[in-house]
Amino acid sequence: MITFLGNPLTVLTLLPITGALLLMLVHWMADDEKREMLANPIRYVNLGIALLMLLMATLIGLEETFGLAWGEYLYQNCEVGAVSTGSCTLISSIGVSWHVGIDALSFPMVWLTTLLIPITMVVEWEAKKDGPDRAYFHSLILMMEGALIGVFVSLDLFVFYVFWELTLIPMFFLILLWGGSDRRYAAQKFFIYTFTASVFMLAGILVMYFNNDASWVGNITGKSFDFILMETSTNFIASEGLRSVVFLLMLIGFATKMPSVPVHTWLPDAHVEAPTAGSMLLAGVMLKMGAYGFLRLGVTLFPDQVIQFQTLLLVLGMVSLVYGAVVCLGQINLKRMVAYSSVSHMGLIFLGVATLQPLGIAGAIFMMFAHGIISPLLFAVCGSFKHHYHTLEIDSMRGLAHSSPWMSAHMMVGWMGSLGLPLMAGFVAEVAILIAFYMTFGWWVVLPALTLIITAAYYLWSMQRTIFEGGGDVQLPPTMRDEEPRDITWHENTGMLILGALAVIYGIYPDFFGMFEMMSNWASLLVENVIYPPEVNP
Amino acid sequence: MEEQNKSEWNLVLPILALVSFLFVVLRMNPDSFGFDASTSSFLIVAVPLVVFPAILIIGQVYKGKDLWKHQLKEGGIIALAALAITLALTIWLIVEFFAHHAHFDEQGTIFDWITFDILLEDKALTESVFSFGIWIDSVSLTVLFVAAFLCFLICWFAIGYMNTDPINEDRNHRFFAEFLLFSMGMFGMVLADSFLWLFIFWEIMGLCSYLLIGFYWEKPSAAAAAKKAFLTTRVGDVFLMIGLFMLYDLYHSLEFAVIFGDPTLGGAVHGVDLQWPLFFMFIGCVGKSAQFPLHVWLPDAMEGPTPVSALIHAATMVNAGLYLVARMFPLFSEHHFEGDLSDLAMLIVWIGGITACMAAFIAFVANDIKRVLAYSTMSQLAYIFTGLGAACWFANEGYHHLATVAFGAALFHLFNHAMAKGMLFMASGSVIHEMHHAHDHVHLYDDDDDHDFDPQDMRNMGGLASKLPVTSTAMMLGSMSIIGIPLIGGFWSKEGIIGQAWNVYLHGGEMILFPALLVLATAGMTGFYMSRMWFMTFAGKPKTEAAKHVHEDTPWIKTPLVTLSLVTAFGGILLAMYGFQHFLGEDPDTAHLSSHGLLYTLRHAFLPEEMTLKLVGWTAILLSAGLGPFIAARMHGGRLDDGENATPMVAWLVDLSGSVGRTDVGELAEGGFAQALHNRLYIDDFYEYLIAKTILPLAKISAWIDKNWVDGVIKGIESGSQSTSTWLRQFTTGRASDYLLMAAVGMLAIVGILWGVV
Repeated sequence: MITFLGNPLTVLTLLPITGALLLMLVHWMADDEKREMLANPIRYVNLGIALLMLLMATLIGLEETFGLAWGEYLYQNCEVGAVSTGSCTLISSIGVSWHVGIDALSFPMVWLTTLLIPITMVVEWEAKKDGPDRAYFHSLILMMEGALIGVFVSLDLFVFYVFWELTLIPMFFLILLWGGSDRRYAAQKFFIYTFTASVFMLAGILVMYFNNDASWVGNITGKSFDFILMETSTNFIASEGLRSVVFLLMLIGFATKMPSVPVHTWLPDAHVEAPTAGSMLLAGVMLKMGAYGFLRLGVTLFPDQVIQFQTLLLVLGMVSLVYGAVVCLGQINLKRMVAYSSVSHMGLIFLGVATLQPLGIAGAIFMMFAHGIISPLLFAVCGSFKHHYHTLEIDSMRGLAHSSPWMSAHMMVGWMGSLGLPLMAGFVAEVAILIAFYMTFGWWVVLPALTLIITAAYYLWSMQRTIFEGGGDVQLPPTMRDEEPRDITWHENTGMLILGALAVIYGIYPDFFGMFEMMSNWASLLVENVIYPPEVNP
Repeated sequence: MEEQNKSEWNLVLPILALVSFLFVVLRMNPDSFGFDASTSSFLIVAVPLVVFPAILIIGQVYKGKDLWKHQLKEGGIIALAALAITLALTIWLIVEFFAHHAHFDEQGTIFDWITFDILLEDKALTESVFSFGIWIDSVSLTVLFVAAFLCFLICWFAIGYMNTDPINEDRNHRFFAEFLLFSMGMFGMVLADSFLWLFIFWEIMGLCSYLLIGFYWEKPSAAAAAKKAFLTTRVGDVFLMIGLFMLYDLYHSLEFAVIFGDPTLGGAVHGVDLQWPLFFMFIGCVGKSAQFPLHVWLPDAMEGPTPVSALIHAATMVNAGLYLVARMFPLFSEHHFEGDLSDLAMLIVWIGGITACMAAFIAFVANDIKRVLAYSTMSQLAYIFTGLGAACWFANEGYHHLATVAFGAALFHLFNHAMAKGMLFMASGSVIHEMHHAHDHVHLYDDDDDHDFDPQDMRNMGGLASKLPVTSTAMMLGSMSIIGIPLIGGFWSKEGIIGQAWNVYLHGGEMILFPALLVLATAGMTGFYMSRMWFMTFAGKPKTEAAKHVHEDTPWIKTPLVTLSLVTAFGGILLAMYGFQHFLGEDPDTAHLSSHGLLYTLRHAFLPEEMTLKLVGWTAILLSAGLGPFIAARMHGGRLDDGENATPMVAWLVDLSGSVGRTDVGELAEGGFAQALHNRLYIDDFYEYLIAKTILPLAKISAWIDKNWVDGVIKGIESGSQSTSTWLRQFTTGRASDYLLMAAVGMLAIVGILWGVV
């Protein structure tokens, strides 16, 4: 029996997937003439669904911001009691239930996803492939949205894992069909790499599953995948050694997704070859799946292991941050540089969590959100370089601000936001994480702080060598041949304006839409109740 | 003349704004609205913040339209109106402050930025807030007035300077918008009530500095200078950030009210623990105020338009570092920190002394008129650092009266220097502007126009005193103020700083001897290089054809020059009589205008009781007002061409310079030391070499390693499973429909299995 229809989260998850599949089906079944005719309406329907999703997510947020506190899971389709009696099972025999819920950790991610999807659609409105196939583009993005939201809202690890892998499929096709010249290699690498990593995670999930007792009618194994049951259970994985093993397995899976050095090399290739919308989603939301999963499954279920492996987290984060930044400085490809900057920024998330301070964890969550706004802007700018100048080689052009003033303005905003300029969203996260970092690790703060200089250096240097200089006239890259340089289209401009405005709004007022407040509450509750539970400190 | 009047007619709008604002304020009974100077002070930040995007957007849309371009001066008039309002608010605030300053201690918060919990040692959570609020005291009011007053005048100047240059056409709105954003940053930094918000606005100014230096971004030198400025100050800023983290860790707050206000909190912190945070914060100040060793960005920053140099790199932004040191000052005077922080105070003095002397040396050989002023700025800021360092030392050693005297002198110099240097930069802008126009005029029909002509090079000038009466007078007064000619502007404060530096020595701070000697010597050097600049520009014979055809006829740029000339000439002595130093250092009540004040001040300046101080003071006067200008006159002075008459205000100086004889220094200028000075003592080269030899190769190697080793492992695994991938490749046909079919079949299979199992 499935008791999920009517729950807003269920709708949020399944509507885009079914919608996208239907649209693709319609398109696929039509004959050639009609396909051409259908391509445009399908695009609009996709966008319409995406906007509807944004509206729904916003309404959920509004209701919660002004109504309830974010301390617990809201909009659960199935209370904990109902889970343990099996009344919302999906696959009864092995203990899989359809259990969704949302809290202050997942809501920002869900809202971010619903926000980014329409923006990416608008930015790459003309999916650049000719022919009827382009109608699939926006449907794939919509399908991606459902899968991503599924990851963030599902509280059943089986379903979580299914959605986790499902996100790969639309992204795989986006890269494979709309990617750059080396797209086939990149798509395969992306798929195989992240898939392999998630196998480790799957192993971890299975161990957790076999230690999570629950039985109801029809449950053959007597176990459950339900997350809430694990969280509330008193005897969930008793053995310390096993807990550590599971924690490390999960860490491998999540660290690859985030990605953290040394398992980051899939990211630059995937980004460079991916179409603009693909990179925007990849950086904006998919990387956050790793951080989200780590906070949700790693930190919440294994708080002792987080304390135990604090140094490991510190090293992972620090190496990603510093090494990522140094590698950025050595890049000659704009998009590759931005991709490595994501690696660097994701390192800060590990650092924030490793502080075990509410401020640091709140900063890490805010970093997920802020990076989710700023990095799509960066990739949109890179995309417009590729689109209008057919190259991403940093040194091959000068003075593009002449021919593309709007693109240059967006580049400036995005680059400044990403290097942590105050009054932009990234700075809030950086300050929060680094203050907490100093309170926990003291003088080590010098390393991340000095990295901020390198970050500023590679961003400013790349701007100097692309949009500036040129001595009074634009110097076009050789890839332009005889083409007239143009500025970005109004589609691109709209998307980038929204992202830039959001980055500034969240920098000036991080509590906009209740964001920082809910994250900070969540982090405080985590530290108070889970990491240092009351019985340890009466 | 008529056209000129017509263009200044546009001033109706800003003046109207100013007058109507004051009118409304005075008519209204403020108390009944709960609206007074202090509660409305956030408007000083809010008005430019709101107006700047408006100018940017309207400018982008309406650029080229007649109304926008000629009536509104591409947004300049709007910016000026906004700055007029902030200036009016500032003045109102100052008036109110004098009326009842007791109520100004705490303004309350305006909004909470972020609220969060921190985990203390005992695993208890404590709530903490970073909020934004307004903090007003005599120090912030002084710097605020300097900023608001100069921003207003420089904006006025900029309308004349920027809008008459065709190269700026249709992009001046960007200039005025960034200018306003910068003003917002400066006002915000001064008014912020916590170190965090001070830092936030501090960085906003850094951004504006980057944007404005790179205003001519198509010039590679400007783009490089902008990057250099941002990155160099970023180095300091990052340390400042670390300092703030440490400070937060000590006090669990960054608000002034908490850090300075609560004696019990102060009691829980040890002075020794404060050494490092204050040291790191001081590094930030060194970067922002362009002190050795982070001074390299300031000379290059002269690539920006001249009003920017005047505003940012002379008058306001570089004062940010000084302001932060002044904000740190109360910590030095905390009673139980006695002696703990005197090493740090000494470091501040040393940095000041070294920079003062080094910058003055480099200014000896600079030929670019703006660079002379840039190095002079560094040198004068270093004086202020020396004074603040001395104040900190006194405070930390328990000499509270002397501390306030030194502190007052330092901030007084900040005021005098900002006014004089703002004017000097504007005057230099006027010179450059007119040189440029004259050059264009001379070579109008010339085919072999030499593009290498540099209107900023003083070797192309000479004899301009007769052509630019207002500018030459202003520049003379400004230079005198900077040199410290007795009774004019900077004299009052500079004497105080040098005197107090030596006073530290007399009170047992032997370590100060070297920097104290340096600042004393620098007084004479200042006399030389400022006079050299003036003589090279205005005295002697014109050295190029262009210099013969210069006319002072650009509208808008005389008014600010005259205004600031008056301030420079009389402001110093008036404020000295008033006891401005005491206003800054001690209870504002003790300051009042009186003839007794004048006598006291005069005696204090010329005849201090201590013999050493008397000696030092007169040495400084002789060096700066006598020896330095004398040598400069012998080297670069000279009478004008026959038939040319300078305005009486400066004619005496030109004649004087022509009557002291002549020394040829060609040989000296070829010497090794002069070459080193030309190359800025190789410090920039050293940094560039260091970067090119360390971080850049490291980055290249890391990128290579990442591609070939880290990723190579993965690739190895891949090629090992080559056969598998060959097999897999059969399925990658490259046609979307095939893939979608496969995906759909897979999805259907999954759904089917799920349903079946259920």
